[in-house]
Amino acid sequence: MNTVDFLNSREDLLSPGISACQGCMAELSLRVILKVLGEKTVLVVPPGCMAGAAVGGWNKSLGTKIPAAMPQLGNSASMLAGIKAAYDLVDPDVHCLAYAGDGGTADIGLQALSAAAERRDNIIYVCNDNEAYMNTGFQKSGTTPHGARTSTTPVGSVGRGKVNFKKDVPMMMAMQNTAYVATLTPAYMNDFVEKVQKAATIKDGLVYLHVLNPCPTGWGTKPENSIAYARAAVQSRYFLLYEYRNYEFTVSAPTKNIREPKDVTEFLQKQKRFAHLDEQDYEEVRRVVNSRWENLKKLAGL
Amino acid sequence: MENEYRVVYGDSGLYVLDTASWRTFRPVIDETKCVNCGTCLLYCPVCAVKKVDGRIQIDLSYCKGCGICRTECPKQAIMWVKEEE
Ligand SMILES: Cc1ncc(C[n+]2csc(CCOP(=O)(O)OP(=O)(O)O)c2C)c(N)n1
Ligand code: SF4
Ligand code: SF4
Ligand SMILES: [Mg+2]
Repeated sequence: MNTVDFLNSREDLLSPGISACQGCMAELSLRVILKVLGEKTVLVVPPGCMAGAAVGGWNKSLGTKIPAAMPQLGNSASMLAGIKAAYDLVDPDVHCLAYAGDGGTADIGLQALSAAAERRDNIIYVCNDNEAYMNTGFQKSGTTPHGARTSTTPVGSVGRGKVNFKKDVPMMMAMQNTAYVATLTPAYMNDFVEKVQKAATIKDGLVYLHVLNPCPTGWGTKPENSIAYARAAVQSRYFLLYEYRNYEFTVSAPTKNIREPKDVTEFLQKQKRFAHLDEQDYEEVRRVVNSRWENLKKLAGL
Repeated sequence: MENEYRVVYGDSGLYVLDTASWRTFRPVIDETKCVNCGTCLLYCPVCAVKKVDGRIQIDLSYCKGCGICRTECPKQAIMWVKEEE
């Protein structure tokens, strides 16, 4: 079955009306992940845009048709590991899913996540990476890229956006031999669905899915272009699609099949958070993007 | 007696917001151009696009009017119609 017919045939397990912004890719990715995993899933969603959009519940009602709970910002993985241990006594086939923001993952939740991966707790942990703490007003996170303007890395007579570089969480998770690691973005929906399907079959440890989700409100982009930005991120190699399992890296088809990569400006330009960047900054981004790709090629034996 | 807290399963206790009221424009499929490829179905963030008996339809009940379906349509088959007050 092709991806269109497959997704059409699956039940949408989120409420049809949640308050995520127009063009929010975090909403799309969550709907698709739940469609693939199906109704035998329980969800934890820590504070952040998706919890705020009612996925974690408002006023004694929930934004999901499956059980969901809101852990604290820093303990999604440990809370879910406990939930999984309880479900294992009842039905080990229930998928225990976390859908956490990049702030909740790369910064404050990292220790809990890394420990759960080390224990090989069989949970599916998704990092919804919109590259900042969006729900509280666009503060810089560990995965905010170099140069990006956020409310805590302002641009003015002194500041020029974030000084440091994006923390590479999926690579960290691979380096600690997490059972399955994959990077995804919704512009490549076949690849996306296949990786979530594979995640559902992993039974020997923690699954870490890192999803780049364009955020029109935080990035300063038009809602109708969210998929276009996700595509440009891959086509410029700003965001690399790959999988890791059992000490093996596999570069995924959309990244592997790039003949002529697009320039990074294809991704950076017209985003308000990068509006102040000049040619020298672009050169810096090109250098980082290139090093990451060279590194991945070595790891994957390309 | 109504429970203080519910674990929902199915539609009871489901939080539903009227997101259709956000729209300033609405997508309308031009049947003469649409080839029912389903690209819009893949990318609609609210899953408002359905395929029924092989044909693509947009359910406007919760469509936020983001315009992604229109941008991504390879046949430019989605028209953009202003919502009246
Ligand atoms: C320990 C703690 N610190 C701060 C907050 C406030 N807070 C709520 S949501 C949020 C943003 C989370 O950002 P991220 O995880 O990236 O998710 P996003 O909003 O971008 O989806 C913050 C800082 C909190 N809830 N708990
Ligand atoms: S701020 Fe960004 S991530 Fe949050 S709901 Fe809006 S578009 Fe989605
Ligand atoms: S305008 Fe946006 S919400 Fe409405 S059908 Fe198109 S993609 Fe979906
Ligand atoms: Mg975030």
